[in-house]
Amino acid sequence: MPVISKSALPTPIEGRAVGQPMVEIRGLGKSYGRSRVLHDVSLEIRNGEVVAVIGPSGSGKTTLLRCIDLLEEFEQGEIRIDGEAVGYRVEPRGRRVRRPERELAAARSQIGIVFQSFNLFPHMKVLRNVIVAPVRVKGEARAEVEARARELLARVGLADKLDAYPAALSNGQQQRVAIARALAMRPKLMLFDEVTSALDPELVGEVLEVIRQLAAAGMTMLIVTHEMQFARDVAHRIVFMDSGSIIEEGPPDQIFEKPTSERLRNFLRRYHRACVI
Amino acid sequence: MPSVLIANLWLLLGGAATTVELSVASATLAALIGFALAVLQVFGGALLRGIAEVYVYFVRGVPLLVLLFAMYYMLPYSGIDLPPTLGGILVIALYFAAFMSEVFRGAILAVPRAQWDAGRGLGMRSRVLLSLVILPQALRLAAPPFVNTCVMLIKSTSLVSVIGLLELTLSGRQIVERTLAAFQIFGGVALIYFVLCYCLSLYARHLEKRLAYAH
Repeated sequence: MPVISKSALPTPIEGRAVGQPMVEIRGLGKSYGRSRVLHDVSLEIRNGEVVAVIGPSGSGKTTLLRCIDLLEEFEQGEIRIDGEAVGYRVEPRGRRVRRPERELAAARSQIGIVFQSFNLFPHMKVLRNVIVAPVRVKGEARAEVEARARELLARVGLADKLDAYPAALSNGQQQRVAIARALAMRPKLMLFDEVTSALDPELVGEVLEVIRQLAAAGMTMLIVTHEMQFARDVAHRIVFMDSGSIIEEGPPDQIFEKPTSERLRNFLRRYHRACVI
Repeated sequence: MPSVLIANLWLLLGGAATTVELSVASATLAALIGFALAVLQVFGGALLRGIAEVYVYFVRGVPLLVLLFAMYYMLPYSGIDLPPTLGGILVIALYFAAFMSEVFRGAILAVPRAQWDAGRGLGMRSRVLLSLVILPQALRLAAPPFVNTCVMLIKSTSLVSVIGLLELTLSGRQIVERTLAAFQIFGGVALIYFVLCYCLSLYARHLEKRLAYAH
């Protein structure tokens, strides 16, 4: 069973109690037809904690992350966010029912997600991409959101691109807009799904730097990544997944220096070999 | 030789005006119905989707001319006697709605799945997601095949001449019966149809460029 590490956590933001579990995943299971993509996954993410998920392709990392944001349905287990079960409710007779769209949307609006392929809205300029959801989903005042969006875009180094369409940006810039767009909703949790995998190699650094700053600011994050060094630097805890299960988890030093499972050792060996080449 | 054409130009242009009126009215109606059918097919429950699909398959499988005859000769027996103009517009609109619905449906489905994820990930509910994210992109994708369908529709209005609507084709036929100058008059008719459709295509090209954004 996974052991939650006691590694030091950063200072909390907005007065949230440090170390309280924000996300609790218990016994999560999901299949596509016959093939099982997630099997009995249990994981806790605490306030202010940065958890990185590593593992080979097809190990269920992305699916896990999409389940947390309720973009995927799952058949077994439950996900609680701040103690509240999201996605499904259980009827008195024990039947599991998917929650209505209104509730799913409300839960999603508290979670920021950034995708591998950015998924900016191509018909909207950068600024509008960032402000559209806070204004139209949360009903916030436009002027207020716009000020916040300008600040966020400045923080990710794109103050001069407000009026550009996404197609006019480099992929690294697009990904930074996507991060700003997610942050504009003021999420309590950020999910990153291999956000550097589709980037030109020389643009990876600028995106990782933004995430690093977020970690320093105490944002709670779940990061699916292939950037081992980055995971090691930024995460409080590393989770290793393979074939839909969590095989091993622990503090970065333990995972990278003293892996206990054979599968993790193999994975790290293959990874290092690939790096040398 | 073309003096016959010039002498009868006003008559032809009058017919052409009727053709344009018919086209605009039925294309507008067809677009609205087609859009509704597409939305039902993509988002409706099983029943609504089934009804929309049956409608599309049925209408696409029957010639427009047959539908016009049905409206003109059969409907009166059931007590519904539509004036030819209204009947013609309705039949053309209902017929092309089936094609339009396929145009819109294809366009909605062509918006990448990732855009849905992005909108949902930001907490958008279906209505906001559709109106702000999916439909604006779908309508851009739909523009070229939509215009193509409109061009077909304009030409198909010539069929309502068989139920006695004095549009461009019937005007031409009447002039030919009077003057026997089939070559010049029908040449003129064809030219007018061509100009109408070509102008529409040009406008569509212009629109496509204006709406375009690089991917």
